[in-house]
Amino acid sequence: MLPSFDLYQPQSLGDALQALAKSDEMQPLAGATNLVPDLRGKRETCRSFISLKALDDLRYINREGDRVTVGACTTISDILRDSAMQTDAPALYAAAEIFAGTMVRNAATIGGNICCGSPSADTVPALLTLGAEVTLSSASGERTVPLDEFYVDYKKSVKRADELLTSVSWSIPAVNSVNLFYKLARRKGDAITVTGVAVMIAAQDGVCCSARIALGSVGPTVFRARAAEDLLTGKALDEDLIEQAARTAADQCAPIDDIRASAGYRLQTAFSLTRRLLTQAWKQLA
Amino acid sequence: MNQTDVSPGSTANVNLRQVGKNKPRNDAPTKVYGKAIYAGDFYMEGMLFAKVLHSDRASANIRGVDVSAARALAGVHSVLTAADLTACNSVMTDLPGQTGGGTKDTTQPILAADRVRFHGEPIALIAAETYELAQQALDLIVVDYEDTDGVYDPFDSQKPGAPIVYSDDNIVSAYKIRKGDTEKGFAEADYVLENTFSSQYQEQAFMEPEAAVAWVDEHEILNIRSSTQVVEHFRAVANALGIPHNKVHLQAPYIGGGFGGKEVMTIEVWLALLAMDTKRPVKLIQTRENSFLSHGPRHPFTFTHKTGVTKDGKITAMKIDITSDAGAYAKLSPYILLYATVGATGPYRVDNLWVDSTSAATNNLPACAFRGFGTMQANTACEAQMEELARLIGMDSLELRRKNFIQPGDPNTTGQIIRSSVWSDQCATQALAALGEQPGNSDHLVYGHGLACYQQSYGRIRWMKDTSESWVGLEMDGTLIVRCAVTDIGAGQMSALAQIAGEILGVPMDEVTVYFGDGHVNPLAGTSTASRALYMSGKATELAARAVRDNLLECMARHFEVSPGELDLADSKVFVLDNPERCMSTKEMVKVCAAEGVHRQNLAIFKAPPSEGLDPETGQGEVFPDFTYGAHAAQVSVDIDTGEVTVIKSVGAHDVGQAINLRAVEGQIEGSALMGQGFALSEELILEKGVLKNGSFSEYLMPTSEDVPEIQSIVLESRSGLGPFGSKGIGEPVFAPVAASIVNAVAAAIGTRIFDLPLTPEKVLAAITAKNES
Repeated sequence: MLPSFDLYQPQSLGDALQALAKSDEMQPLAGATNLVPDLRGKRETCRSFISLKALDDLRYINREGDRVTVGACTTISDILRDSAMQTDAPALYAAAEIFAGTMVRNAATIGGNICCGSPSADTVPALLTLGAEVTLSSASGERTVPLDEFYVDYKKSVKRADELLTSVSWSIPAVNSVNLFYKLARRKGDAITVTGVAVMIAAQDGVCCSARIALGSVGPTVFRARAAEDLLTGKALDEDLIEQAARTAADQCAPIDDIRASAGYRLQTAFSLTRRLLTQAWKQLA
Repeated sequence: MNQTDVSPGSTANVNLRQVGKNKPRNDAPTKVYGKAIYAGDFYMEGMLFAKVLHSDRASANIRGVDVSAARALAGVHSVLTAADLTACNSVMTDLPGQTGGGTKDTTQPILAADRVRFHGEPIALIAAETYELAQQALDLIVVDYEDTDGVYDPFDSQKPGAPIVYSDDNIVSAYKIRKGDTEKGFAEADYVLENTFSSQYQEQAFMEPEAAVAWVDEHEILNIRSSTQVVEHFRAVANALGIPHNKVHLQAPYIGGGFGGKEVMTIEVWLALLAMDTKRPVKLIQTRENSFLSHGPRHPFTFTHKTGVTKDGKITAMKIDITSDAGAYAKLSPYILLYATVGATGPYRVDNLWVDSTSAATNNLPACAFRGFGTMQANTACEAQMEELARLIGMDSLELRRKNFIQPGDPNTTGQIIRSSVWSDQCATQALAALGEQPGNSDHLVYGHGLACYQQSYGRIRWMKDTSESWVGLEMDGTLIVRCAVTDIGAGQMSALAQIAGEILGVPMDEVTVYFGDGHVNPLAGTSTASRALYMSGKATELAARAVRDNLLECMARHFEVSPGELDLADSKVFVLDNPERCMSTKEMVKVCAAEGVHRQNLAIFKAPPSEGLDPETGQGEVFPDFTYGAHAAQVSVDIDTGEVTVIKSVGAHDVGQAINLRAVEGQIEGSALMGQGFALSEELILEKGVLKNGSFSEYLMPTSEDVPEIQSIVLESRSGLGPFGSKGIGEPVFAPVAASIVNAVAAAIGTRIFDLPLTPEKVLAAITAKNES
């Protein structure tokens, strides 16, 4: 059963940041779709939470020029209701479509998915390929951090205990680019990702001018496969190059065995799915 | 999306007005509007709340249990351990209402005393003012465990020197069948094929976890209102507590699913002990996590099939070895093993047959009843072997099946002659045809069609001498009442009785009141298990309603000056068949009959055909009343890069004898399609040295709404069953072939077979990789 815990429900962002500044133990919660199972499963030891439910000013999708900014309390369903997301962030939209199930999508927020720090967080590979940045706010100020530099280890990030992740933003992908995501899981709904892959490939005249590859559930954090990206950048795409890049991406993986899959299976599918998405991107760009 | 076809081939020759029609169930409105009261909804003044301390390890000695801090906590009214149950710490888990058959010992401690044998074994019971207090008390209990060597594999547990979990040899039960001459049969075969198939633990995952309230009333009667499939457990509760049977009143309100998981007692005795100790009502609703540990899941089974077949596709001999993992206690393992043994050859006639089966104890979760009850596991293996045989001899697998289907008049595995219709061929043909064309393969996706047939019993083992009783009576205003203690576990058990009695007495089913689930004010109907509730309580209700009808029509025949056969009852009227203008309302009829002292009610008993058991050396004898036959077909795609399987279309085609409620039949077929899909692809209780690792809905993976394929139900009606109007049992039968059809579809898609279930993406990819490398 759910253990008892303290819950503070601030009505404004300022109150929330003040509360975080005063307490070392308090943790923010938004949709609580990961937190509740973790509390029930005795994996979460914190017993003092600050609810972001009332902070409607953190629930928005803004567009300015080619920049999209999404408030941290925007739910996964909010993203799906914004049809422009299909072009503004194709991989994120794809990830949102197969994120858990309808009930969880209605409650879970993008900020929560980022901050949980799970290597299986489905929005994170997509956001990494979009080159997203996150805004961290505290009572003493605000800073912007590239999502790529946010995670430092398993469920650990550069976010300080007094900081709240308040938004995530990225630039709309270029016209000559393709952005894809694939979630491999043991069933279609409400499943934890076994291997997640996102790619963003931009090309000019058959030559890859920019490549981003992000992998989930195959290491302590979601990460960019930099060596594979470098391999592709500036080169004409072909089957051999894609195969080599996928192999290089898989080499950067450090998966574990767990009850959902073995490390070997994760490695094998990290390779084959990276190859598949890169191939799809190449063919769509041609 | 989902459609149901009633086959035009049905032999309709009776004018049914309600039975078989697409009518909403009587229990639908109250459930849809959220008014139906379940066991956990019950509230009583002064009620306490219970918690149970379950062992967190699978094999350990208990050196001591310190409950002093828990007892000292304010608001805690009772903390019970084995030390408090010295007079009675044993409960029978055998099938209710019978004398056993091959079972050495089906008792189990109520609370573990000096040893725990499985993860989840109960150690202490707590009753407190709130659940939170009870949980606090539970957290204060200190159990001094000494871990001991356990055994976690049913083959290992039979080896000399294995840790002993059960009896003196870990053997819970064993059967054999010796029929014909297998040596001669194999000699006559052109091909002999041997394969081993294994399957996993599956969790019932009923929507409503175990829930009950217990209290001792002003007459010193122990009342338990519980989510159970079996109200006859009042006897087992009384026996365990050492009190007379007539001092225990067990009621079952609407039940949120059972699937066999509420066949054996779950939490009833625990609450009885706490209610008697505290003299207060005590309630418990198990958390989902504890529910995983509070009933027995489906047995893991291993089948080794050796089959001889001619090049023309005639099976000449089968030798089948069966092993099931009983877990730490016997529960119903012997009966489930018997079902697997009888069902080992699927829906096929095999004259030269040799079967050896064993159920062995381990320190794993004690497995128990689950829809399909051993037959389903056996059928899944047999139908996989049939596909492999077809592949070996290069024959279409349906053609191979046709050459071997058992037929009416044939003896089955135990020599019982099949009496009812066998429409295996029609069902298989229609199910396969409904799949349509197989899509062409694409870059990453390969497609496959799979078929499976089955033979599944309905009704209990015949030497249990099963009976069911029901009471039917007309009120003075012409309304109709049925009293029958059948438990309604969600499959429409109650509503079907309204439909049957209403059909016979001419009262619309939604105007019939059925009192159910309480065997102390209604006649006992027996269990809602073994696909028997409709067959048995439906038949008893039919008999009672017909007796009332006969009485009324005899009186009305005098009134209308015709013979009783010239009258009929429908739409709350009695009328002359060839001149319906001559009629009288049911209300008037009842008045006339009452004035003449005609008996307007009847208590009927229906007795299943008995038998005297099996010959222990040959396994020959009559085991079941009858069998249901049918088929399931599935279309799947497999992603060859990842091993992911998607079920695209799932078709069940079954001869149900006679549909009583078509919507309820459809509900059973659709639910089965998903439950079987889960078994085939994703559901599995994962144990490490007996400890359950995925006892929650975030890690135990049933199909979700997003995994639902297109489902089609094809209902055939031979009217050859033993149930009311020629119906057959369908609750388990329609489930029996589903997993096998999906497994066969995957094998067809990837061109190789995986022999252990479930077919996780990882196993499928490994099989594809191995095939490509070879």
